[in-house]
Amino acid sequence: MTQEAGRRSPLSVAVSIAAWFAYGFLVLPSLIIIPMSFSDKDEFVFPPQTLSFYLYEKYFFESNWMAATVESLKVAAGTTTLSVALGVGAAYALTRTEFPGKKLLTVFLLSPIFVPVIVVALGLYLYLGSARLTGTTFALVVGHTVVTIPFVIVTTLAGLRHIDRNLEVAATVMGASKWTVLRRVTLPLLRPTILVASLFSFLISFDEVVISYFIANVQRQTLPVRMYSSIHWEISPVLAAISALLTGLSLVVCLFVAFLQKGRAVG
Amino acid sequence: MAVFLLPAILFMAATFLLPLVVVAYTSISGEAGLTLEHYRELFSRPLYAIVLKNTLEISVLSTALTLLLGYPIAYHLSRQSPARRAFLIILVLLPFWTSILVKSFAFTVLLGHNGLINSVLVSALGSGARIKLLFNRPGVIIGMTHFLLPFMVFTILASLVTQNPDLRRAAEIMGAGRVRIFWNVTLPLSMPGVLAGVLFCMILSLGMFVTPALLGGRTDLMISNLVDFHVRETLNWNVAAAVSMCLILLTAVFTIMLARIRGGQLLEAAR
Repeated sequence: MTQEAGRRSPLSVAVSIAAWFAYGFLVLPSLIIIPMSFSDKDEFVFPPQTLSFYLYEKYFFESNWMAATVESLKVAAGTTTLSVALGVGAAYALTRTEFPGKKLLTVFLLSPIFVPVIVVALGLYLYLGSARLTGTTFALVVGHTVVTIPFVIVTTLAGLRHIDRNLEVAATVMGASKWTVLRRVTLPLLRPTILVASLFSFLISFDEVVISYFIANVQRQTLPVRMYSSIHWEISPVLAAISALLTGLSLVVCLFVAFLQKGRAVG
Repeated sequence: MAVFLLPAILFMAATFLLPLVVVAYTSISGEAGLTLEHYRELFSRPLYAIVLKNTLEISVLSTALTLLLGYPIAYHLSRQSPARRAFLIILVLLPFWTSILVKSFAFTVLLGHNGLINSVLVSALGSGARIKLLFNRPGVIIGMTHFLLPFMVFTILASLVTQNPDLRRAAEIMGAGRVRIFWNVTLPLSMPGVLAGVLFCMILSLGMFVTPALLGGRTDLMISNLVDFHVRETLNWNVAAAVSMCLILLTAVFTIMLARIRGGQLLEAAR
């Protein structure tokens, strides 16, 4: 493959140009926000003339932005816990047991990926609304977990495939009970996978907007809902600082997951 | 060990399946028992036909544009050494993991009336060069293409890297040039990946809500925005539910097609 890349045919030059154009389209929009976030005024100047933390101060000290961030962190922590507990167990059972209807169950558990989120949001709005639960942190955790469970299951299924089954067999042969094998062999081997699945659910929940927009109320908004209203009604320059911070967070998660998966491919 | 499935199934039945049943029920319930009047309303007013047409047009255009940009990236990635690919793939993963609100905000800054693109155009060509890129069709399509691109790249990349390199080598030994190898070997072999990517992007675009709401024209609605409109503005939950059911039906068509070509692979993981 490297030899193919070495010789520059017109085709590979054309592909490279097209690919780099597309890479630029993918990363430039969010990167352009970063220099703008250091503006010292309530307006956008490009290229930025100053290096000021004015907008960051506004974000951290204007209480309603911070309250929304805290609410999002709470919801994301709850969602991560719930979806990892439910999803890892389900993925484990799906790989280690056989029973009729397994296929159908797998499809059911993964189906939220293919159902438009707005429909799930409307359903939860009508359903939780009739139980007077909308507007609570609990409702948000439940709603977000519907979206994150399929990702936890898919990630864990992939992780379980990488585990050497012989280690479990060896432990069983040596007399370990099913529980001991799970606790002492399978779960420790799954630790990197569970870490990745947790990061994914945390980030998906922290960024989730459609379900939150339907079931959160004005007093208890999440950060994405507040950002949505701000972009929709009147753009606040604080958004630049928040966007820069969120882009940084995504970058850290990306690099961390890439690092973990590289370790797995080598080891 | 099957008992570990139970909590997830019960949870999903209560928080996913049941709400969908509530939506289905709301769409057919009227003041005097069950009724189809809410669906009849959808067919009787031109608004709904226009929104359906908008949704299909925007989805098809964005998916096509995504394919046009995504294939070169996937092909480029598939021809890199593992170390370089690991670096370049971050350029695709970063936008994938970036909040859609950060992206939407970035595009309002870039594409707006006094945005970056227009500032450059005006300073280079004078004030007549300004183009309207926000709160209209081009704005939605640019934003949606940006959102869809990572999904397309990963699906096509998977089908490119699993190709047997011996097939290309064989074609080369037989005297085929690079372009010919691409057209007759690589491209046809990657078609299942392309098809899966296109179908998945269609499923995602048909249900898009945030991008058309923030970057689109205020009257250029997509189906999801119509659901929101009925919940918030007209407070007509029955019609909102009927619109939702139509949206589910529409995406189900594409999901079934995707399952036909990809269903086995998704389930294989569980075996």
